[in-house]
Amino acid sequence: MQVTVETTSGLERRMTINVPADKVNAEVDKRVKDTARRVRLDGFRPGKVPASVVKQRFGPSIRAEVLQDVVRESYVEALDQESITPAGYPRFEDVKDEGEAVQFAAVFEVFPEIRLGDFSKVEVERSTVEVTDENVEQMIESLRQQRAEYNDVDRAAANDDKVVADFVGKIDGEAFDGGSAEDQELILGSGRMIPGFEEGIVGIKPGAEKTIEVTFPEEYQNKDLAGKKATFDITLKKVQAPSLPELNEDFIKELGARETDVEAFRQEVRENMTREARQAVQSKVKNDVINQLIEASEFDAPTALVDQEIQRLRQEAVQQFGGGQQMDPNQLPRELFVEQAERRVRTGLIFSEVAKKHELEADDESVRARVEELASVYQEPESVVNYYMNNQEQLAQVQSLVLEDKVIERILQDAKVTEVQADYYEAVKRDN
Amino acid sequence: MSTQERLYKVLLGPHISEKATIVADGNGQYVFKVATDATKPEIKQAVESLFDVKVLSVRTLNHKGKVKRTVRGFGKRSDTKKAYVRLAEGQEIDFLNV
Repeated sequence: MQVTVETTSGLERRMTINVPADKVNAEVDKRVKDTARRVRLDGFRPGKVPASVVKQRFGPSIRAEVLQDVVRESYVEALDQESITPAGYPRFEDVKDEGEAVQFAAVFEVFPEIRLGDFSKVEVERSTVEVTDENVEQMIESLRQQRAEYNDVDRAAANDDKVVADFVGKIDGEAFDGGSAEDQELILGSGRMIPGFEEGIVGIKPGAEKTIEVTFPEEYQNKDLAGKKATFDITLKKVQAPSLPELNEDFIKELGARETDVEAFRQEVRENMTREARQAVQSKVKNDVINQLIEASEFDAPTALVDQEIQRLRQEAVQQFGGGQQMDPNQLPRELFVEQAERRVRTGLIFSEVAKKHELEADDESVRARVEELASVYQEPESVVNYYMNNQEQLAQVQSLVLEDKVIERILQDAKVTEVQADYYEAVKRDN
Repeated sequence: MSTQERLYKVLLGPHISEKATIVADGNGQYVFKVATDATKPEIKQAVESLFDVKVLSVRTLNHKGKVKRTVRGFGKRSDTKKAYVRLAEGQEIDFLNV
């Protein structure tokens, strides 16, 4: 087998491969014999069809089939021989079958040589987050608000009340589309309606009617209404005052917490918050590191890999908002994903390069530890751990996560890390 | 009917079977389905002109159609005639590329 490799451009290589005819012919003969055993032809008993007849009948298609296999096999062999690692799938061109020898060209891309940026130039801020008692109280307070119950009261509506109202919206005395509703539930002060509307309701008693004037904001999404003055005839049916649930065992049980004791619940909330904050900080640090590394290291991302990534992103996108309908991922415009795909490919290449350079790998011990950490969120950590450990796919994912973390860690050893104090809400919010 | 036209109606097609393959390989004989009223000289002439070969001999046989019984009584399948045509040494017919 003769192989010649030429560089066509940047990362693209063109490999011309010559396969001797003997190899192809032998394979064809083997297939012919195999077909003769299985094929049914009129005038012949099954299995008694002579090879010559099979060859005459199916020769060309068998040869084409063999050729395809030979091309693929010898491509792999040639890569081995030349010790080239391709990025993505090759494109086969100029397949020539001249009886003497089979010749073809494989065009593919190679991985770029990655020059990693200097780790010590990477600067990141790592925040240390202290979850204060105040934070915990705040969190519990918002949990209580989410679970608030509303009861009918007979007094004028105030902020935070829930009201049930009918209203008819009019512009210049004419009712307009979408401006009217019956039995609309509304929490005052939630800011879901246009400005002025909720404020207008404050102070009305249940059963009373009132007409308020509101101006639609200039940037209102409905262009016909934006900036217009409108009047709403409101009939208030009910006013309901919120009552926050007591922080007691019943409330805790309803939230599905593990502990029903109030103190223990506080502790659990604190733990959850600490974990959340730690994860937020970690992913922020990771993002910063990746961004800086991408900027620092220069290389071309192989188009084949980027295309693969784009394909994957398309599928993900379809799954996310396609839902039930059948939608062809290829319909989505390529441009939408190019940037993200390139970024991902670069990140992947940089990571694997760092891992290779510093001989990092995901050892069983740290994988196990990671799985246990993941599992600790669930009700029965043991069974979750077992599920992960016995599921190859999941395990592989965890392994790559662990490796990622190790890579980041390694980079951080050399990088300039500034420790800063941060408030819990700040830390969690910044990442979103 | 001119002779030429008649020749085109004599040969109905190749007869492909295990036996036909064996005689083709061993004896240089090719088996055709032919018109039931075709004669040996006609077959010889037809094969020679259509395939551009030299025919040494023609042997023929009549194959009576089977009598089939159905609800409506008896039916008979058409009779057929086969011809074993021996070509001159070294000559052959490739049925795929005609």
